Amino acid sequence: MSDILAVSSLTKRYGGLVAVKDVSFSVREKEILSVIGPNGAGKSTLFKLISSFVTPTSGEVRFRGERISGLAPHQAARKGVVRTFQETTIFKAMTVRDNVIAAHHLRSRASLAGFFFGTRLARQDEEEFGRSADEILTFLGLSAMRSEIASNLPHGHLRALGIAIGLATNPAVILLDEPFAGMNHEETQRAVEIVRGVRERGVTVLLVEHDMPAVMTISDRIVVLNFGQKIAEGTPQEIKDNPAVIEAYLGVEDESIGL
Amino acid sequence: MMKARNAIALAASLVLLLVAIPFGIQASGRADLYYTLTSVALLSIISAGVWLTFYIGRINIGQGAYALMGGYVSAVLVTRYGFSFWLTLPLAGLFCAAASVLIGLPILRLRGVYFAMVTLVLTEVARLLALALPITNGAKGIVSIPLPGAVRIFGLTLIPDFATLENPRLAFYIMAVIAMVLCFVGMYRLVNSRIGHLCQSLQQNEELASSIGVDIARLRVIAYAISSFLGGFGGAIFASITQSIYPSSFTVADSVNFMLNCFLGGLSYVFGPILGTFVLYFGWDILYSFGDFQLLIFSIILIALMLVLPNGLFSLRLSRSRGEVTQ
Amino acid sequence: MEQVVVNGLYLGAQYALIALGLTLIFALMNVLNFAHGQMYVLGGFVTYTIYGQMKLPFVLALVCSGLTLAVVGAFCEKFLFRPVIRRSKRDESTMLLAAAIAFLLDAVILLLFGEKQRGVPKIINGVFLSDTIVMPYDRIVVGVVAIVMIATFVLYMQYSKTGRAMRALAQDRVAAQLMGVNVERYSMIGFALGAMLAGVVGGLLVTITGISSGIGGPISIKAFMMVMIGGAGVVGGAIAGGFILGMMESVGLTVLREFGDITYLVIFVCLMVFLSIRPNGLMGKPWG
Repeated sequence: MSDILAVSSLTKRYGGLVAVKDVSFSVREKEILSVIGPNGAGKSTLFKLISSFVTPTSGEVRFRGERISGLAPHQAARKGVVRTFQETTIFKAMTVRDNVIAAHHLRSRASLAGFFFGTRLARQDEEEFGRSADEILTFLGLSAMRSEIASNLPHGHLRALGIAIGLATNPAVILLDEPFAGMNHEETQRAVEIVRGVRERGVTVLLVEHDMPAVMTISDRIVVLNFGQKIAEGTPQEIKDNPAVIEAYLGVEDESIGL
Repeated sequence: MMKARNAIALAASLVLLLVAIPFGIQASGRADLYYTLTSVALLSIISAGVWLTFYIGRINIGQGAYALMGGYVSAVLVTRYGFSFWLTLPLAGLFCAAASVLIGLPILRLRGVYFAMVTLVLTEVARLLALALPITNGAKGIVSIPLPGAVRIFGLTLIPDFATLENPRLAFYIMAVIAMVLCFVGMYRLVNSRIGHLCQSLQQNEELASSIGVDIARLRVIAYAISSFLGGFGGAIFASITQSIYPSSFTVADSVNFMLNCFLGGLSYVFGPILGTFVLYFGWDILYSFGDFQLLIFSIILIALMLVLPNGLFSLRLSRSRGEVTQ
Repeated sequence: MEQVVVNGLYLGAQYALIALGLTLIFALMNVLNFAHGQMYVLGGFVTYTIYGQMKLPFVLALVCSGLTLAVVGAFCEKFLFRPVIRRSKRDESTMLLAAAIAFLLDAVILLLFGEKQRGVPKIINGVFLSDTIVMPYDRIVVGVVAIVMIATFVLYMQYSKTGRAMRALAQDRVAAQLMGVNVERYSMIGFALGAMLAGVVGGLLVTITGISSGIGGPISIKAFMMVMIGGAGVVGGAIAGGFILGMMESVGLTVLREFGDITYLVIFVCLMVFLSIRPNGLMGKPWG
């Protein structure tokens, strides 16, 4: 399998604080790769660095050989690297379906002026977006609440809507920010299935997560961060047996990290 | 179906504005109403620009600056360089749009109250510039601007010379109303096309919008440029009607009023600026008879309206008939 | 040069007090108080009435200015802003309300006191003279009173129970509520305090520059500028912004005199350039 995303010597400093230090790893085409680590390990900074929401102090991220660090977020998204958000970051006042339709922006072939004047291409686009949005909503089990105003959705469905918005952009790599956070066992099971389904659509998944059992079942490979540095990388089995990882999580209840 | 309904609504409002109202005014002999209605039409165009910036999530109290700028551009071009008024109209709008791109690039990064305050300051900057620049003729302003001339193509008179007309007020009224209808048809189309979705995405969450690939900086500038175009366009017509423009023609109070027009009509409703302007302007006029108490009563009514209908006048009709629509 | 600095300090102290009130209201309620300038004017007219017309002691007049505005502020918060904030779909609605209140105060001031510029007798006669500085005593007194008030305000916010509660509220409304801070009560106190500051400055300055009904709007604009320079919602920012604007005005009036009345134009342009580099002012927190 070829590498779709290469992270090399990525470093981010905030004043004197080093949030991410010299982290390198690569993501292979169509795999599910998870980044884990104790609280404050630099996971979310790394996440923002990869999605170009933050510019690295040094090092770079390459997507299919092309440098994406330093681009604006929308440019990274245009290349195919799209992130989702943790909590209630949705278009609150739009309906669920409109959220997903709006997110089809990158697929539009007509220009803004084209949409304004309602050219044939624009009409085709709008039709296509509607169809595609319905398909995505069905895939994520949201079609029953498509006309609901997004802010009225229950918690678990909000997460799914976030993923739906991400999928609508037709990404090559989707970055999921703690997709299982705050879910009970049953909800996690469902979310795990969804993430697998996303991969089956041909999308490479990179996720940042706390929930160890879920990560262990779902990931092809895992990268472990501690104090901003990579301390381990490998298959779930390798990670489980890695003494450095156990060291990093020491003091944490064994069960909660799935060891 | 939808289309047919819109076409009927459009035709009906054209008949109302261009036939019924002039006929009514003629019958009642209240020719002064032309001026009032023309003002309402023009002010609602300028306010529509403010509404559009609200629509992308920015509070714009700087529209007076562009109205003033547009007025001066048109006045200078007509009086100094002998341009036809009709040509200066789009030029004034484009000049303002271009200026707003330069100004907007840095300041559109500001949000919320910061943007509001900066735009407020912008209105003052425009006034002071008009006082200081040589070309604007300082506090004396530019006066005796000729009325719009004729437009002829191949000897065919499309628009007559306003100065030769028996009733230039009616001509201005017709011009303003047509401009208003065009403006709001455009706004309606904008809001109900995919661009509306994108603007709403900006309004509701800029971070998420950029994560789905929307070039938020560009879209913001485009919306702001359209908004300023409308400001300059409206300002240019105003200068032509009053045949004069002064640094105090559009001040901070006007900028605030444009914003109030939008609020009063309701920020969720694209036709809100028309209703808001109409009510505010006529309300003010009607209260004229109270003399010294005009401002007092006006402001009390305004406050009362806010307390009763914090989401604008349109929310009243819509919440009764077909529920709330999108924000 | 020293003269310019002293003038700047004197102006800055007044400005800082006005900006403090505005920023306090903004920090607590997220309301941009358009009526701040009008509150200043009202304070000026109260002092004018009591000290100038009724010939009662200036200190009493100043206290009355403060109290009147505190009551007006508390009333606005409780009966106007609170219900609108609760029921409106968008934060911006409070701006319309604030603008309407500004109109209302303008109208009331106009009806009660008329259009004329009003002045009062000097509180102290005489002029301080040295080699480089000429400063009337009354200006010195007013400047010192303003600086003392700023210091008192800062200490009050820092150490009193009310001050601490208001700071908690400004940082995070929800968290403050969870910690048991009575949000409604302290919002009202904060609004009253902010309005009071505006009123007191009005009362102070009426003795120097006089007062007229039309200057509310321009004062509000100046206050907005100070808050933008320093950063909205930050006490230190408001003080810094006030002194910076006072200094710029003082310097500008001296240096730019030969070019005509362009001081404010220059200040505005500087401000816009500055804000495009530092969108949150000197010490502001990111908004939104």
